[in-house]
Amino acid sequence: MAKQILKRVLGLVLILLVLSFMVFGIMYLAPGDPAEKRLTSQGVVVTKEILQAERERLGLLRPFIVRYADWLKNVLRGDFGISFKDDLPVAPKLIKGLKNTIWLALSSLFLALIISFPLGLLSAVKKGKLVDHIARLFSFIGNSLPNFLISVLLMYLFCIQIKVFPVIADGSVKGLMLPALSLAIPMAGRFTRQIRSELIDQLGEEYVVGMKLRRVKGRFILINNVLRNSLGHILTIIGLQIGTLMGGSVVIESIFRWPGIGKLVMDSITARDYPVIMGFVLIMGTIYVVINLIVDIIYRLLDPRSF
Amino acid sequence: MNHKRKKINRIKVILSASVAVLLVLIALFASVIAPNDPYETCASAIRTAPSAEFLFGTDNLGRCVFSRVLYGARTTIAATFILVAISFILGSFIGVLSGYYGGILDEITMRIADIMLAFPQMVVAIAVAGILGGGLTSAMIALGITMWTGFARLARSHTFAIKNCPYVQAARLAGKSGSAIMMAHILPNIIAPLLTNALTQIGTTMIGISGLSFLGLGVVPPTAEWGSMINESRAYIQIAPWAVLYPAIATIVTIIVFNYLGDCVMEYRDED
Amino acid sequence: MDTILKINNLSAGYGEECVISDISFDVEAGKKVCIVGESGSGKTTLLKAIHGFGGVTKISGSIEIGKDVLLGVVPQNPGGSFNPIRTYKAQICEALKSNNIDFKIEEVEKTLQILGLSDARRALSSRPYELSGGMNQRMAIATTMLLEPGILLCDEVTSALDVKTAGMVVEQLLEINRLRNTTILMVTHHLGIASKMADFIGIMKSGRMLEYGPAKEILNNPQNEYTRNLLKAVPKLKVS
Repeated sequence: MAKQILKRVLGLVLILLVLSFMVFGIMYLAPGDPAEKRLTSQGVVVTKEILQAERERLGLLRPFIVRYADWLKNVLRGDFGISFKDDLPVAPKLIKGLKNTIWLALSSLFLALIISFPLGLLSAVKKGKLVDHIARLFSFIGNSLPNFLISVLLMYLFCIQIKVFPVIADGSVKGLMLPALSLAIPMAGRFTRQIRSELIDQLGEEYVVGMKLRRVKGRFILINNVLRNSLGHILTIIGLQIGTLMGGSVVIESIFRWPGIGKLVMDSITARDYPVIMGFVLIMGTIYVVINLIVDIIYRLLDPRSF
Repeated sequence: MNHKRKKINRIKVILSASVAVLLVLIALFASVIAPNDPYETCASAIRTAPSAEFLFGTDNLGRCVFSRVLYGARTTIAATFILVAISFILGSFIGVLSGYYGGILDEITMRIADIMLAFPQMVVAIAVAGILGGGLTSAMIALGITMWTGFARLARSHTFAIKNCPYVQAARLAGKSGSAIMMAHILPNIIAPLLTNALTQIGTTMIGISGLSFLGLGVVPPTAEWGSMINESRAYIQIAPWAVLYPAIATIVTIIVFNYLGDCVMEYRDED
Repeated sequence: MDTILKINNLSAGYGEECVISDISFDVEAGKKVCIVGESGSGKTTLLKAIHGFGGVTKISGSIEIGKDVLLGVVPQNPGGSFNPIRTYKAQICEALKSNNIDFKIEEVEKTLQILGLSDARRALSSRPYELSGGMNQRMAIATTMLLEPGILLCDEVTSALDVKTAGMVVEQLLEINRLRNTTILMVTHHLGIASKMADFIGIMKSGRMLEYGPAKEILNNPQNEYTRNLLKAVPKLKVS
């Protein structure tokens, strides 16, 4: 088992190396000259000499591979470079944003699960009944709603019509509600659907009939066996949705002005602040692959057959 | 009983396909249906409520929301279809090739696909679109970077299964060339699941494109597109909710119709 | 002798489709009964109709089970009736608890040993996926017996096993019958096995019971042409 995990960890390091290379490569090829951008944003009149000096100072004139190695070395030490916009180090900005984003992500994940888990369970157990139809309708519609639309509609309803929540989510708990809900609704739709189909598969397993024949109590069958056996798959489903959640949080944070990493990156895209964008992709990518590695390990631990 | 279910499913597919075709027709003939010029601003008719002249009211610049929703349909639906089609063709091509020939080609393409799938799609899309600068094309590239992999994997696994069928083996022994076998035997057999997959991707892609446009990373104003229309008008939603609600409804309805169609077709195919 | 199970003119099937029709026979308490038939003869449907799980609907006729008689069912697939990734111990505890049977795990182990599992301890701490088909099947039978059923319904319990293991399972069933006087109703496509263990044999074909009677009569003096052919096809087996 340790061997398999080690293999996966090595694979992960490789994937992250490729990611870092791609991120750096795209930035390298990206249109626009960071030196020029930087000077103009600081209000300097750009002449050829100043531009060249600035490029020299930023180390932009060195060969690609040297710059990549240098950048990677710094990143590994936790130094994501200096922001083009205000000359401040990027790492603290990213970390501050990340904290808020994690709060938002966890609350929306929590909301999505408390909606979708009971719904998926009920829907699977009462397959074909009214509850199932309602749950499927909800999951279908939820899955079809873009989160930016949900957030605009929620904002219209709760902030402007009923005035319960603040329009700008300033980082308070109350401000967290609507952004979290906007992210949670489509996610809950997908979860409900996937949890339902997973549980239906598991309920159709031969052992369920065997247990009924032994007159084992329904709650034992459901909790100790069906749910227990599905746990690995459900965790995998959640792990894969984290990616969608990350993309969604960029949109939602921009709308509600939630001070997370997503809003930071949108502001940086407008300002062509490359170090921030690079750091963002790298951090999100790393978190995503690490989470899915952990999920994979837990999955294996839960199902001894997978060794 | 099964027969009856199948019949109901077929009716569902036909109905939802008709609605989808209707939406596509509306998008195609937007310029004929639209009562007003979607780009013509009118200083005297800023943010007017829906009326006979402006069916869905007007926006901040006095542009007809109804006409803009129609033209927006063209942008959103066309961009989605083109992106799905390109990913479908490219992905299937790569998938069939690597499934048929295997070896080093297969190894390389599948590793690339693995790496693409290892990262959150929308995060990559936002970063790429952001770096490439706005514009519909860059938004489509940003989404397409990860999208082809799904088709490639599907095409590869189906090709793999069919490659070893006796009739393909026989064709190979008869001396037919690889490309002839792929065209004559493999493609016709894997096209149905690939098309079904393409169909189910339409809703997601539409969400992606309008999401990027909403962020300002897709179409450039003043081009009419639902996501960017919603973004532009949400600032004055209290005064002119219609400027947000109608494009919102159009987006929701379109995505629901295509998702429903995808689900129905999948269910229909599963019955076989 | 008491009649523990009485089937009267039973017709049953899936939905409206009739699979077995007009089946009648009685089972006496403490006897071993084998219903023999080829695949598709309806013997599994008959069993499902009796225990009521498996989606079989009764169309006409009746099934009478003796008062306070519990059914124990051993399904066809060895080990398939247990969650493959949990230990037998945990699953047996659940089953006993659900049936309000007081137990100690040492007693369970002992009972399992008596019921033909010499290495019950290892089996208890194993998960079904870790054990062989024969071991799982004997475990399934023994576990069912822990619930103290009056009748044991066995569905093709030997068909997935090799000859030697099948023999062990048959021995186990005979032992159970001897020790506990449990009635056994087994369906099988193997007339040889039926002849080895049954007191009564029924022959089924195309959803009908061709004949039913004491094993000796059926084996020595079959009335039906089909039964005669079946007997001819049986490889010579030592009938004790």
